Amino acid sequence: MSAVISTTDVCRFFGDDEETLVKAVDNVSIEIERGEFTALVGPSGSGKTTLLHLIGGLDNPTSGSVKLSGTNIAAMSGTALSDFRRDHIGFIFQAYNLIPVFSAEENIEYIMLLQGVDAVERKRRVSEILAQVGLEGLGDRRPNKLSGGQQQRVAIARAMVSRPEIILADEPTANLDSKNGIALLDLMKELNESHNMTFIFSTHDEKIMKRASRLIHMQDGKIEFDEKK
Amino acid sequence: MASLAFRNLFRNTRRTVLTVMLMGFSLTALIVFDGLMRGMITLMVDNITGTLTGEAQIHRVGYLENLDVDLYIDNANEIEAQLQQDISLQAYAPRVITGAMISSSYNVSGGIVYGVDAVLEQTVSKVREAMISGEYLSGEDSELLIGVSMAELLEVELGDRIVLTLSEVDNGELAQALFRVSGIIEFGMRELDENFVFINLASARQVLGMSEQQTHEFALNFITPLDMANTNSPLLDKLNVGEIEALNWLELNPDISLILEISRYSSVMIGAILFLLASLGVINSMFMSIYERIYEFGVIKAIGTRPKDIRNLILFEALFLSLISCVMGIALGAAIGAYTSTNGVAFGEMEFSGIALNNAIFTEFNIIQFTQFPLYVVLLTVIAAIYPARFASRIIPSDALQRSL
Repeated sequence: MSAVISTTDVCRFFGDDEETLVKAVDNVSIEIERGEFTALVGPSGSGKTTLLHLIGGLDNPTSGSVKLSGTNIAAMSGTALSDFRRDHIGFIFQAYNLIPVFSAEENIEYIMLLQGVDAVERKRRVSEILAQVGLEGLGDRRPNKLSGGQQQRVAIARAMVSRPEIILADEPTANLDSKNGIALLDLMKELNESHNMTFIFSTHDEKIMKRASRLIHMQDGKIEFDEKK
Repeated sequence: MASLAFRNLFRNTRRTVLTVMLMGFSLTALIVFDGLMRGMITLMVDNITGTLTGEAQIHRVGYLENLDVDLYIDNANEIEAQLQQDISLQAYAPRVITGAMISSSYNVSGGIVYGVDAVLEQTVSKVREAMISGEYLSGEDSELLIGVSMAELLEVELGDRIVLTLSEVDNGELAQALFRVSGIIEFGMRELDENFVFINLASARQVLGMSEQQTHEFALNFITPLDMANTNSPLLDKLNVGEIEALNWLELNPDISLILEISRYSSVMIGAILFLLASLGVINSMFMSIYERIYEFGVIKAIGTRPKDIRNLILFEALFLSLISCVMGIALGAAIGAYTSTNGVAFGEMEFSGIALNNAIFTEFNIIQFTQFPLYVVLLTVIAAIYPARFASRIIPSDALQRSL
């Protein structure tokens, strides 16, 4: 299998001098293959979110390279990086990540508008994905009229609708109760298997860890151990 | 982006309303202020042209420099014939003017004597309207109208004697004549009320030794008034030949021209100050709005929104904000302007650079108040939003996301 994500000696340091220097990510080299359902795990401050942001091109590494499908995104910036994220990466954040003045349908449609997908195709894909995430009939509701679990389903739908190769999720179940969290994970696992998308999560959640096909344990910005199930 | 921007305006309705009110009221204030300035200018011009000067005057070249009595128009009858034939002219009045020593039984003062045609003068000036007691000129030899301040100085009342001592034209011989106060006038302009007396034209010519063909001045009024918008007249061009000069009121009052220019520019200055303050309000409001949504900007940037799209989003928000403000500002400005243009704004009695402004000022509408001013609001708001828009477009997603996580 080919590596869809590859980091080589990637570092992200914060602070200017020895005393204040924080090595959030320190010489991390990993390879993640297409279709993997990977969890970045570790205690708070271990560097999970920072590594996820580096992989997603949301932050620039201090050194090292981050390659997605062979493209070194660490060398990209501005519009090129925005376009790359739009077309290749889907993001799911902890919570409250929908545009509040848009309905669920419009939130999902937004990324396709950025991609220039025509209106008919947008509508078709929106109804299809709403059905897949179990939100049929709720498309016209604004986020404040949806439960936390429903909002995260919309976020998953938005992340997937543009058909990215990689989906990055930062603590996606952190704000959900156990029942909704499990339901959401099952949904993501199902989509992962049916669409062969690569999922990477940062999490503390045991439920995610149990379902992940690979666990990358982090501690103090380094990979402590990498466990494939 | 436009749709998202429009909807974003209503996320924090209170802030949007306050910002709209700030800009809308600024526009209203500018529309009303400009209307007042225009009304004041019109009132000033009316007072200048209507009180005594007329809309234009004809003199011998050089007369206005020193008011030299010897520089009189010698062929007044020919000019009068020309004036009578001109269809653009509404009225004219010949005048004989001289400096004189004005004496009463109690006091003496220097002053200006106007010899006027009792009938024609009424058509070009407010001498008759300014009467506060006594009778207007009827054509009798000894009649004299005196300014109220000069009457107080000379301690004279109606019927009291006044002696004018002046120099005859051409030979400079001193001449004296006795008059009786037949009327007291008050223009409300200090300069006129303290220094001017009016006698009949024939009497003035007689005292000065001038013939009926000789006069110092013609005051003119036109059918289409020579106002700020139009100070040119073909008749004046035609009369400006040889020793005769015909000047409009603006040329006759070059200092007033400067004052009027300053009055017009005061609208620009007030507008600039108002809009500067409003722009700062817009910048503040935009930054508050951006800081509130910083996590959201992080998210939409993370999912692929380009920096320029985020910049455009903020600029669209500013554009819509300014358009709503314009609608409010125009509506309110038009309503207040409509009221004050009908009912006027009374400022009491004012004298501005020697010009009495004792009537209410009626605001005047002008198309630029409803086209250019709102355009300035839109442009300035969008320009004011450029800095916040650049800030938002440069937000680093990882920083923005961590702020709220």
